[in-house]
Amino acid sequence: MLYFTLASKAYARNLHYRGAHMLHNVASALFGYLYACIWIGIGQDHPLGEYGVHGMVGYIAFNQASLWVSGFVSNGLGIPQAVRTGQISLDLMRPVHLFVMCMCREWGQIAYQFVYKSVPIYLLYMLAFKLSLPTRPDTLLFAAVALAAAGYMSICINYMIGATSLWTTESSWLYWVNHALINLLAGFLIPVEWLPSWLQTVGWLSPYPYLLYVPTRIYMGYEQPGILLGSVAWCMLLTLLCLLVTAAVRRKVEVQGG
Amino acid sequence: MKHWFDLYAVLIRSSIQSRMQYRMNFVLGTLLASLIQIAEFLMIAIILNKFGAVKGWSLHEVGYLFAVMTLSKTLYRTFASDVHHLERYLTTGELDQLLTRPMPVLLALMSQNVRLMPAELLQGSAVLYWSLHGLMSAGQITWTAVPYTLLAIITGAVILFAIGLATAAVGFWMTRINELQTLTEDASQTAARYPLVLYPSWLRSFLLVAIPVGFVNYVPSLFILRGEYGPWLILAVALLAACVLGLALTFWKFGLSRYQSTGS
Amino acid sequence: MGAMIEVCGLHKQFRTPVVKEGRFAGIRTLFTREYRLKEAVKDISFTIQKGDFVGYIGPNGAGKSTTIKMLTGILHPSAGEVKINGVDPHKHRRRVAQKLGVVFGQRSQLWWDLPVKDSYDILAHMYRVAPAEKERRLAELGELLDLKEFWETPVRKLSLGQRMRADIAASLLHDPDVLFLDEPTIGLDVTAKRSIREFLKTLNGEFGKTILLTTHDMDDIEQLCRRVMVINHGELSYEGTIEHLRDKIGLPTVIRIVFRGSYRLPAQEGARMPLQLRLDGAEGEFRIIEASSSEVLIEANRQQAKAMDILRMVGGWGEIADIHMEEPDFEDIIHRVY
Repeated sequence: MLYFTLASKAYARNLHYRGAHMLHNVASALFGYLYACIWIGIGQDHPLGEYGVHGMVGYIAFNQASLWVSGFVSNGLGIPQAVRTGQISLDLMRPVHLFVMCMCREWGQIAYQFVYKSVPIYLLYMLAFKLSLPTRPDTLLFAAVALAAAGYMSICINYMIGATSLWTTESSWLYWVNHALINLLAGFLIPVEWLPSWLQTVGWLSPYPYLLYVPTRIYMGYEQPGILLGSVAWCMLLTLLCLLVTAAVRRKVEVQGG
Repeated sequence: MKHWFDLYAVLIRSSIQSRMQYRMNFVLGTLLASLIQIAEFLMIAIILNKFGAVKGWSLHEVGYLFAVMTLSKTLYRTFASDVHHLERYLTTGELDQLLTRPMPVLLALMSQNVRLMPAELLQGSAVLYWSLHGLMSAGQITWTAVPYTLLAIITGAVILFAIGLATAAVGFWMTRINELQTLTEDASQTAARYPLVLYPSWLRSFLLVAIPVGFVNYVPSLFILRGEYGPWLILAVALLAACVLGLALTFWKFGLSRYQSTGS
Repeated sequence: MGAMIEVCGLHKQFRTPVVKEGRFAGIRTLFTREYRLKEAVKDISFTIQKGDFVGYIGPNGAGKSTTIKMLTGILHPSAGEVKINGVDPHKHRRRVAQKLGVVFGQRSQLWWDLPVKDSYDILAHMYRVAPAEKERRLAELGELLDLKEFWETPVRKLSLGQRMRADIAASLLHDPDVLFLDEPTIGLDVTAKRSIREFLKTLNGEFGKTILLTTHDMDDIEQLCRRVMVINHGELSYEGTIEHLRDKIGLPTVIRIVFRGSYRLPAQEGARMPLQLRLDGAEGEFRIIEASSSEVLIEANRQQAKAMDILRMVGGWGEIADIHMEEPDFEDIIHRVY
């Protein structure tokens, strides 16, 4: 119940800024639109593999909307700020695990972003590019599971980024590096199979393709649900890492004397 | 005039001194920024490498657009860093402090911080060199492109500065401007990294008329890379930059007279 | 002697957008702009003479800061006029800024990461102070404010008291005629407060600077200011000398007296509190606000009744074990003015 309260508070906090966020959605939708235009331009002279021009536009559209679930989570889950203000030692004293607490807060944030950003942006694209929903309901279900797993992985990654702020004051840079890697390795602009082979190798050794590429491919009906096993495996591995990181954070804060 | 220039130099020097107290952070930040910069260009490079050209624009040409935009933006954000961060000054009330100084507020704001951006500078220069070199060896352009390009980068920085200033001035009414900046600065600059022919006409007009980022790199490149129109095009762009700057400054002054300070 | 600061019919209204509630609130707020008007300052007029030291007091949110911001040219008034030494700070902000020293107690105008002396170099450039003049003034200020001990220290490492001294020196580097001080003693300990007050006294007395001070510290006002202005709800509710203010409202001191053993009040058993009493053998009166089995709480206006006279009288009621005096709370005084 506590977890739900944490999440719903984070959700509600955002509701005040809906107006400004709608303006932000225009900008965000424009970004995806630009990338779609690039593929439309390229598609004039070249066949675009199994996707085709319309498929690539749909690919970009779904990616741009998904970015608000698996890409734009709070910088370091708010941990860097807690470190600056000293709030972190209070957070560690609470009877809830730090990771669980940060995660619940972030799920509220992601839920808000899904409702007020992903959905309106995707609806806009559906109108602008005449996209249609998948015909089979189970495709939609599996895509939702993949996206939820992507959100969770993103939470884990940002938790670890946030934790580094105890050691360096420049953790916001890591946040942006994470973004750059999402752009490049998660197949945001280019489907992973079109990357140079060495980058593909690097990509598949990381969780990044599971953040955007896999959910989008499932949504478009190119992948079987079996690939979700990869998502689950990464979720477990990242969870383990987060727990280890929390232990290190605890030690560090204790050494500093809170 | 000389007084302002000297003062600006003094303030910039002290800003760098302040920053150098956190040398480790600076080095780390630069390294990570380089990584981001490389990833950004790699994306479009991979696409064009695979597919050749897009609507008649080759990889070298797109690289040129990309590089000019990066360098103009770097120039603008280096010297007017805190114009982009006006929201912080408005919400914390720090702007009050600047208003008690016997110097123009804009100058005070600009001299608060100089942001050294070696990663962006290096990436931009490298891609520019690579593009120009490729285009020259293909015989598409001659060395005269170099001075024109430098001029385009400077006028481009002026245009981006004007857009940034006008957006910031909206903050005197709205206070929160980050979302607006995403539209008028981030999204628009990203859009203009690619040839505007890619976009439908409404978007093209938007990027040329409403938010004139197209004049930073795309319009000059029509003459510099493709010999269209004539050298007067560069002059016209410079004139336009001056006009846009004048408009932005007027708007800024008007906004400043409406400044409400923080609550109280 | 001439007028240094002239304020005439000053008004300031703030417009804050009304935030919509309910469905699609965000979007509706974005498109319809309804404003709530708030009158922060209403028709304020006053004149401050050259060489005056004036205290400007009032509760939080009364309009003090807004007034100061209009005097310094930070805010444009909605109506009315301000003249600093005959010049309008809104039409000629920079010219006026050149003649003003401003210290905000909550915020520093120094460069956070630089040594103190570097900030002065920058400010000297900014205010066009010639190098020789700068050296001379810094020597003088350094002496008076004891700046030398932290000359090379970055500002972020200064203690609050040191930072305040450094900030005051910074505001004086260009030899301004007028000094605005916004809560310069906030958060300082007693010694630091004392040294700042000493310095301000010298500044006003020997160098003839005109000073306008806002503060929440009643001692600042009592020890420094010749005149006070009280603002409440955006309006000036009092303007005049300290003595006059005291006469007008009185400054009630609370005296708690503990008796050893029993005592006897000069009144009937079960008399209603508060109980008004006249002094025996001296002019004046005081009030008993509470009385328990061994304690009496007395409220007295010290301008009307001397504490010694009161104690002498109370000593006759029983054997005094302990005395505790509480000076009047600043907020209470402000409320009394109203």
